[in-house]
Amino acid sequence: MADIKIEIDGQIVNAKAGETLIAITDREGISVPRFCYHKKLSTSASCRMCLVDIEGVPKPQTSCSTPVSDGMKIHTQNEKAKASQKAVMEFLLINHPLDCPICDQGGECELQDVAVEYGSDVSRFSEGKRVVAASDIGPLIQTDMTRCIHCTRCVRFGSEIAGMMEMGGTGRGEDLKIEPFLAEGITSELSGNMIDVCPVGALTSKPFRYELRSWQMVSNESIARHDLTGSNVYAQTYKGQVKRIVSGDNEAVNETWISDRDRFSYEGLTHENRLLTPQIKVEGQWKEVEWNVALDFAIKGLSNTVLNNRKAHKLGGLASSTTTTEELYLMQKLLREIGCENLDHRLNVNNLDEAIHLESNLKLQALEQVDHALIIGANLRLEQPMINHRLRKAQLSGANITALNVKEFDYNYALNHVSVAPNEIATILAGVLKIVLEKKSIELPEYLSAISPSSSSVELAKDLLNAERPVILLGEHIINNKQAASIAQLIAEIAKQVGANTLNLSISANALGAQHVNFVPNSVGMNVNEMFKAEMRAFLLLDVYPEYDFHHANSAIEALSKEDVFVVSLNSFNNDLVAQYSDVLLPMAAMYETSGSQININHDIQSFTAMVKAPDEAKPAWKVLKVLADLLELPGFHYENSTQILEEFEHQPAHEHSQETAIDLSQQSTAIETVWMHNCYHSDALLRHAKSLSMSTLGQVNSASMNANTAKELALSDGDEYLGVPVDITETVADLCVFVNSNQATNIRSMS
Amino acid sequence: MINKLKKLAKSLSLSELRSGMKITAKEFVNTKITVQYPEEKTPISPRFRGLHALRRYPNGEERCIACKLCEAVCPANAITIESEMRDDGSRRTTQYDIDLFKCIFCGFCEEACPVDAIVETQIFDYTFESRDGSIMTKDRLLKVGDDNEKSISKAKSEDSKYR
Repeated sequence: MADIKIEIDGQIVNAKAGETLIAITDREGISVPRFCYHKKLSTSASCRMCLVDIEGVPKPQTSCSTPVSDGMKIHTQNEKAKASQKAVMEFLLINHPLDCPICDQGGECELQDVAVEYGSDVSRFSEGKRVVAASDIGPLIQTDMTRCIHCTRCVRFGSEIAGMMEMGGTGRGEDLKIEPFLAEGITSELSGNMIDVCPVGALTSKPFRYELRSWQMVSNESIARHDLTGSNVYAQTYKGQVKRIVSGDNEAVNETWISDRDRFSYEGLTHENRLLTPQIKVEGQWKEVEWNVALDFAIKGLSNTVLNNRKAHKLGGLASSTTTTEELYLMQKLLREIGCENLDHRLNVNNLDEAIHLESNLKLQALEQVDHALIIGANLRLEQPMINHRLRKAQLSGANITALNVKEFDYNYALNHVSVAPNEIATILAGVLKIVLEKKSIELPEYLSAISPSSSSVELAKDLLNAERPVILLGEHIINNKQAASIAQLIAEIAKQVGANTLNLSISANALGAQHVNFVPNSVGMNVNEMFKAEMRAFLLLDVYPEYDFHHANSAIEALSKEDVFVVSLNSFNNDLVAQYSDVLLPMAAMYETSGSQININHDIQSFTAMVKAPDEAKPAWKVLKVLADLLELPGFHYENSTQILEEFEHQPAHEHSQETAIDLSQQSTAIETVWMHNCYHSDALLRHAKSLSMSTLGQVNSASMNANTAKELALSDGDEYLGVPVDITETVADLCVFVNSNQATNIRSMS
Repeated sequence: MINKLKKLAKSLSLSELRSGMKITAKEFVNTKITVQYPEEKTPISPRFRGLHALRRYPNGEERCIACKLCEAVCPANAITIESEMRDDGSRRTTQYDIDLFKCIFCGFCEEACPVDAIVETQIFDYTFESRDGSIMTKDRLLKVGDDNEKSISKAKSEDSKYR
């Protein structure tokens, strides 16, 4: 676009021909009132608030829809502009109820601000106002549609960003209503952003309803750590409690959107199951004690079981990857100092010999630029909402996307779906690799000789070869695939040959942080599954909830519950199971209550500070681990704040785990395979305790999907339960496999 | 010399005493303005800013809708409000405290209130018998309102034409 000069209010401004006027005034800091314009949404020019006077044009023009041209002279503040703005404001307020005192938007309302600045002080409208009945659109968003000014930001957000046109305008003129099309309301995983884009109080946060005014809270930047994105958010606090989460701006990470689980998970912080005081188990009875008593008890227990008799190899350390990098670093440092190499964060992996090693080498912003994406084993929309959003943008600008999944999930963009049973994925990918290698006339490795590419392999290979900037995304459904390591290797190999980038989405939350600080056993140590088979004497657990976190939940619970095993649990929540196997319970600070950092998919270390103090006696886990180390008289734990810990590990090279496992395609199981995924609003402890999310449509999903043939094989029908989960018979699932999406505890008893 | 004689004549004729006694005699028969407080009280302006009260609508519903504008405008930070959604879905306070030791009786809370819920009554003669007596809780404020609704509404209507 050509560089031009225009004049705004007598000031010469540089611009590009064809840019919209409002984008230029925003850049130059010239204030133009607006309601319907939003920088990330399309232009609708429906509110008419941004009228300005352009010399030579008889009528005032909307600056959001006026492209500029060279020499244009614009007045945003002259009499004509002001009179039109005032007139529009008067019209907008005709049907607005002006119930600001009971409106949750009051104090942060664009309509309020603009009315004060540009409106008239008295309304000339004395006729009856329009009233619109409120509709219940779910447990997350409260509607008061009488307040709506029909800017259609929420409608455009739904169709353009969320990709689900759930809200829309019905009726005409005075009968125009913005409402959900379906009775079940809004089910998008990004729906909360409608609250942020709504310029008035028509859409507000339901869990936050009537609690506080915006001016009462302190707003601080933080990071939401429920997925690999690490969305930038503002945590708004009042009297030591997180009261609301709103999205922050970061083009490299989450643009200006956040997922609903990032927005509403804070509710879990005040759940009644929070662990609030240190407790020790004396003769089978729990006793609330002071911190020093609990820590001494823990040290004594560890000393008696493992430390005093040189049995550090009988101690195991397990951590959830939702913890901060600092906590993981300190825990591995502590364990390694006392000579223990048994530590792991990959709790939900069935077979760690078949662990996935695949690097992520594409940044989120670059993901928008790909022209072909191959998704393998992921329901991206629910598992990594912001990554899916970037991919959706790529698709809208022309990228061709293929998903290789056990089930045809609901996508919010067009893609080719290839249904495959888990045990076919490796073969299909091997077929792809074979075609690619043959095309490039590269000698075929041994393992590909017996492969005869299927028609889907041919299609996949063709797409990958034709693409200029392809990306392959490996998702969470693969982690427990019997050939997981081979699949990852094949992907790496294909990517190398076709020049594709890869994204490893089989991990989540802060697993990249755990990898960075090497929170995995070295050659002499045991991994999580080996620990449960070995005769361990003691465990140190960091925010672990076995019934959800482990793939082998039953053997985990069994190993932890043994009579002579001493278990120290640092937990933010308590429950019967944790109380059953633990010997010491140390309350730890949860998200927003501790300082630290997360490493996101861009490999950026994103640091955050504590927004609020942890409730009651709970302390940040890094402090607890530091004091534990001090009590054990270990050297090198003189930290005063978590930044010193960060400084220690941030310049260490990230640990590489790219051990070459030979690709083995010989193991072909024909048994019915189950892919068990936690419901997207039950994927970590804080989310499981967030009440509104659990009540939402997505949070309620609990089904074992299979097709009719599989159901017949398993002798199941609608209304039965499979592994305790209600059966849902649908032909969208590949043959001879079951896809479980559950909000219940892991129950894979019958699986090996 | 002349001055001394004049002074002597004035004092011998008791003229100062007589002019003083004249005022006494006049006031003896005039109507008295002394008020026998506390039996008698002086009239109070309808704009008088005394003890606070929370008012109700005639049907018994409390007026306050927890908009927190009084809390926001209070220059002395004397007001503390907590709110939530009542079971019928309306916006209500769960706590409404005014610390009378902090309050400077400026009347801004009354000015800010969109529903005339918080008002300053004409009551000025109140005492506290304990240290926390200065905290006017929601119940106490509503009680003041209930007990004095007649005088409050009278004062408000008298003042309304000047607003």
